[in-house]
Amino acid sequence: MRLFKIILIGLFCVTSNVAHSMVNIFACEPEWEALAKEIGGGKVKTFSATHAMQNPHYIRARPSLINKAVKADIIFCSGAGLEVGWLPLLLQKASGSVQPGTEGYLMASDFVKVLEKTMVADRTMGDVHPEGNPHVHLNPHNIFLVAKELTKRLELIDATNKSFYRSRFNSFTLRWRESINQWEKNSSDLKGMQVVVHHKTFSYLIDWLELIEVASLEIKPGIPATASHLEGLLQQFKTKSPDAIIRTPFDPGNSSIWLSEKINSPAIVLPYTINGDASSVDLFALFENSINLLKGAMND
Amino acid sequence: MLKTKLAASAAIVSLLLGNSVLAESDKDIDILRTEIQNMKQVYEKRIADMEAKLVGVQKKRNQTSVSNGKKVPITSTRRIFNNSFNPSIGLILNGTYSNFSSGSSEIPGFGIGEEGERGKEGAAIGESEMNFSASVDDKFYGSLTSAIVREDGSDIIELEEAYLQSLPGLGLPTGLSLKAGRALWTLGYLNEHHAHTDDFADRPLTHRAYLNKAYNDDGLATSYVLPTNFYSEIGGGVYRADDFPFGTGDGENTAWSAYARIGGDIGNNQSWRLGGYLLSGDSKSTGRKSNEDAVIFLGESDLYVTDLRYVWAPTGNARDKEVIFQTEYFWRSEDGTYQDTENSTGIVDFDDSSDGLYVQGVYKFAPRWRAGLRYSRLFPADVPTGLVGSNLDSANFDPRAYAVMMDWTNSEFSRVRLQYNHEKLKDGQTDKQFMMQYVISIGAHGAHKY
Repeated sequence: MRLFKIILIGLFCVTSNVAHSMVNIFACEPEWEALAKEIGGGKVKTFSATHAMQNPHYIRARPSLINKAVKADIIFCSGAGLEVGWLPLLLQKASGSVQPGTEGYLMASDFVKVLEKTMVADRTMGDVHPEGNPHVHLNPHNIFLVAKELTKRLELIDATNKSFYRSRFNSFTLRWRESINQWEKNSSDLKGMQVVVHHKTFSYLIDWLELIEVASLEIKPGIPATASHLEGLLQQFKTKSPDAIIRTPFDPGNSSIWLSEKINSPAIVLPYTINGDASSVDLFALFENSINLLKGAMND
Repeated sequence: MLKTKLAASAAIVSLLLGNSVLAESDKDIDILRTEIQNMKQVYEKRIADMEAKLVGVQKKRNQTSVSNGKKVPITSTRRIFNNSFNPSIGLILNGTYSNFSSGSSEIPGFGIGEEGERGKEGAAIGESEMNFSASVDDKFYGSLTSAIVREDGSDIIELEEAYLQSLPGLGLPTGLSLKAGRALWTLGYLNEHHAHTDDFADRPLTHRAYLNKAYNDDGLATSYVLPTNFYSEIGGGVYRADDFPFGTGDGENTAWSAYARIGGDIGNNQSWRLGGYLLSGDSKSTGRKSNEDAVIFLGESDLYVTDLRYVWAPTGNARDKEVIFQTEYFWRSEDGTYQDTENSTGIVDFDDSSDGLYVQGVYKFAPRWRAGLRYSRLFPADVPTGLVGSNLDSANFDPRAYAVMMDWTNSEFSRVRLQYNHEKLKDGQTDKQFMMQYVISIGAHGAHKY
């Protein structure tokens, strides 16, 4: 018993020293970790629960996530049901200051216009959530809105560094606005581009760049493609092929590639999030590369 | 008294009548007309104002969308809650078709409870579960799971879980939580999971022999995630000692548990968890009844469990491909008496230990397909002379079972499984079991526990 007590006290000493000079930000996805770094700089410690090769809807509340969530000062996620399978389990263990409704609980989709909200969500429609499409980060205007909210939260949680966060936000806003202008100018010829998607992960990019989504490889959200569904797509594209078939790094490639060969449209992997490809190391590069890849496919 | 009241009301009525008669005069009608006219003017002015404002707003909106070539989303302040229903409701439907080659399936050397027996032969529905759960307020979370099962020819409701759990809003130190009521308590890997989330259609021999499938006593437990640099959690609880492996509780028996576990990641795509658990308690009043009440144990028992789970997603994306390895080892020491009324052994002193384990691997080789293998084995205690020839006599044979399964998961909510078991529970007896199972979940989106 005594030994047990000594071990416990020892553990506390080891850990309490490390904690609390920086704001711990637990991001559910890499894009939010990247944004947290943009605004928080050296004053925050960031962690992303998922990486670019993972589908964030299907991970488990694994032990390391419980450990990180317990220490988090801000839990920063997409929301709208994307993390419904694992975030609630983590929140049960996490601190009171990151619970829904508090400053430490930041769901990006609460602060942007969510697309594809359905009034009725029937499971025959696949894994559809009535909250709408949660992949909100692929419209750079949304990134700005979320950055604004994150800055507010950081100012509240870490008031001593208020001016630091504000100035980083201002600098980010300046660079981001400039980039958006550039991207919008560069991508004007993408308007009307016809794309086949794997899953509804690109709806915000499609909406922003005014592409046209002509088909989806998944029969319904979350339900993988079948041979008969692909055969149907083949018929659909007999007369006119789409400009590109796009997927994320975590979508299986076989159906994309199969269709691409049959209808002679390029199948491309867009980075989707940070480190989705070798050069998409931050949010700026992510959008830059996505646009360039689409343009490349368009001119193919 | 009554008379004066009547007189007063008569006076009031006459006054009212008198007024209405007066109102019919032209003067009053004129007054009313002008009033209505005034009201009309006021409202017309208001409507005109509103229309003007609306035009202004529309103009503004057009201007902003014109000034920007691309779509700029508008900030939405709508708060979205996780539960559109309060409480969230989930239903689990599951059914099996089983075919067994052997007529009996006792596990000699162990007293087996009713739930620990093999499933029903032929077509049968399994436990149909109903779950209601919700955050009660900022401080508590409540959950109730009941199963409808068929026992002795009639459908009865079994309360699997009914508990209250503290939420972080209660103000306990971060990482500390309390749970009270009836729950599938933390004891190894499988015990705290509902059977429908298992990777096989039935539970391994360890859970059949030692826990009568699962330990869900009434009690109070706590858990604490330590603020270490890696995942570590300790916990424990006190229980009524009503559920198997203890006696039918009269409130005087007690049982308690303690556990510690650690876990972490290896690189980006592998994770693991290792735990040690102890469940200790008395079976003193009525004792632990098994083998259809023929075998009774009175005394103390300590159950030690260790579990290890390892998950690897070779491509990073668990949706696509995944390897899960899982094992649990049980060791039980008992000090008390056994009696087998079926074999008229009388009360025999027993102070010995037994152990058992299972090892399983599941491989998801395509997004919807998984295959799995499981091996489980029990090591019974040496039989005391007084129990030779009884249900507790293993005849020096270690019961063992092999299982192989394949399942197909259409969505997160439906799964169909085929399983073949090769069980040798008794020397010279082989039970070849073939099972087909479906598991359907309706309603609330379940969480993916580790």
